[in-house]
Amino acid sequence: MSALILISVLGVVLLYLGLFARKGILAPVGIIGLLGVMALFWTGWHIPHAWLGGMLEFDRFSIAFNLGMAAITVLIFLFGPDYYERMERHVAEQYALMLFSLAGGFILSAYHNLLMLFLGYEILSIPLYVLAGAKKYSLRSSEASLKYFLLGSFASALMLMGVALLYSLTGSFDLARLGEYMAGHGEGNLVLGFGLFFVVVGLAFKVGAVPFHFWVPDVYTGSPTLITTFMASVVKMAAFAGFYRLIAATGMPGSLATTMALLVLATLLVGNVAALRQTNFKRLMAYSSISHAGFLLLALLSHGGTQGGGLSVGGTLLFYTFTYSLATVGLFILFIIAKRANLGAEHNGIFQGLWHANPWLALCGLALLLSMAGIPLTAGFIAKYQVFLLAIGAGWLKVMGFGVLMALLGVYYYIMVAKEMFTPAAQPTTFVAARLNWLVITLCTAGILLLGLWPSLVTL
Amino acid sequence: MEDVVTAIRVVPLGHYFVLSFLLFGIGVAGALLRRNILIIIMCLELMLNSVNLLLVALSAWYGDAGAQVMVFFIMLVAAAEVTVGLAILVQLKRNAEGVDINQLNRLKW
Repeated sequence: MSALILISVLGVVLLYLGLFARKGILAPVGIIGLLGVMALFWTGWHIPHAWLGGMLEFDRFSIAFNLGMAAITVLIFLFGPDYYERMERHVAEQYALMLFSLAGGFILSAYHNLLMLFLGYEILSIPLYVLAGAKKYSLRSSEASLKYFLLGSFASALMLMGVALLYSLTGSFDLARLGEYMAGHGEGNLVLGFGLFFVVVGLAFKVGAVPFHFWVPDVYTGSPTLITTFMASVVKMAAFAGFYRLIAATGMPGSLATTMALLVLATLLVGNVAALRQTNFKRLMAYSSISHAGFLLLALLSHGGTQGGGLSVGGTLLFYTFTYSLATVGLFILFIIAKRANLGAEHNGIFQGLWHANPWLALCGLALLLSMAGIPLTAGFIAKYQVFLLAIGAGWLKVMGFGVLMALLGVYYYIMVAKEMFTPAAQPTTFVAARLNWLVITLCTAGILLLGLWPSLVTL
Repeated sequence: MEDVVTAIRVVPLGHYFVLSFLLFGIGVAGALLRRNILIIIMCLELMLNSVNLLLVALSAWYGDAGAQVMVFFIMLVAAAEVTVGLAILVQLKRNAEGVDINQLNRLKW
């Protein structure tokens, strides 16, 4: 797949440009390269093909996910020049590392072999460990980076043990062979059970599911905001794509289904309840990302159920993660604007006075928050609605009922943030939005509303 | 090459499983219980290497080179991971004092 080669070369080119050229040229080159990558993926849309002897399989599912991830990265790069305006050195490395991480995401969404699962997972993660510590002289950033590294390596080692155990059963890393084996000897096989369990733990860590969520609030808060945006959007998409490919190959045997259902319940509960008490906006977004992971896991859990209305689990995952990423990017850019207006404070109150100073941004922020909460007319509502339909089709009625309850609970904390935007500030504050940031926020809002009215725009 | 495979096959496969689970268990326990970050990184390496041992044994048993290729990739990734991890540790050491994990409580859990 030439797109995978292009994106790796693009990262190296950006590193060289960082040595010799002005930093103003970095983001445009990155964006043009990413558009090229997207065009290369687009040409493969009608001809699904395998690569590296069948280890990678670029079918419609992976191409759609890769296009989504690349598009979100373009939005993040558009935010880059403003974010790195006052940073003089090592800007190129940050763009390049994001691209390398994205390459891992491409592999993770296309693997058809457990070796590639492991490689994609690590290529996605290792640049992120560095990026989380990108603020070199901030203790908070270094600490977030170390925590992410220790917990991430631990989870990947567990996943590797799972891969080895699965290999011991079939004598092959190929997913198709694993699927055949499971069709033959499904239930009650201890080695199979432990192998699957370890692999699922590794992936659940990456998507931030409870009880493997401890790193999420810390790492999201400590990392530079641009990197947090990348983690919450692109990395989440990649991790769920990888998760789905595993589930699609193995199916959902009874023991795995029980584990997954427990994961869903715990994730929904902890994510939403803990979010209620957060005052720091970044921590709030971290817990909100945990709760969204709960809904996405519910969609995965419904794999294999009867799916009416042209819904598929893969399509729902794509729609949900893509719209969630759009809202996340818009909200984090808004957060940076508000943070600058309030001398670096991060609590929810920094949004006060936004409506009076800049009504358009406040309206966009309101739409993005409502989409996060899942209010009708926004894409977030359609996404949650599809997940619940899938869960009903698969017969997970009680879990779905709990999900609806938690979605209602979730509306509260998003509305609390929206309320701050429309509260007048104690002292007049000026919100300065660069033209490019204004454009990205508007694009995200337009995307959310458009997909809310015509959800069929993003399907497999 | 054949000698190596037969030499590996002299020991029953179950023994390799037990040894590698033991090593893996030591790694997990160390990573969870020890407070010194350097020792935690060593324990993570131990976990990866226990998987390597298991894969090499399985590879000889199945007569399949795929697992050996996987071992090379794991060693590569482990090297990359440790490089990044030690760099992060040095960075942290510059910003804070010492390598005791209990000091890292600015970000509450």
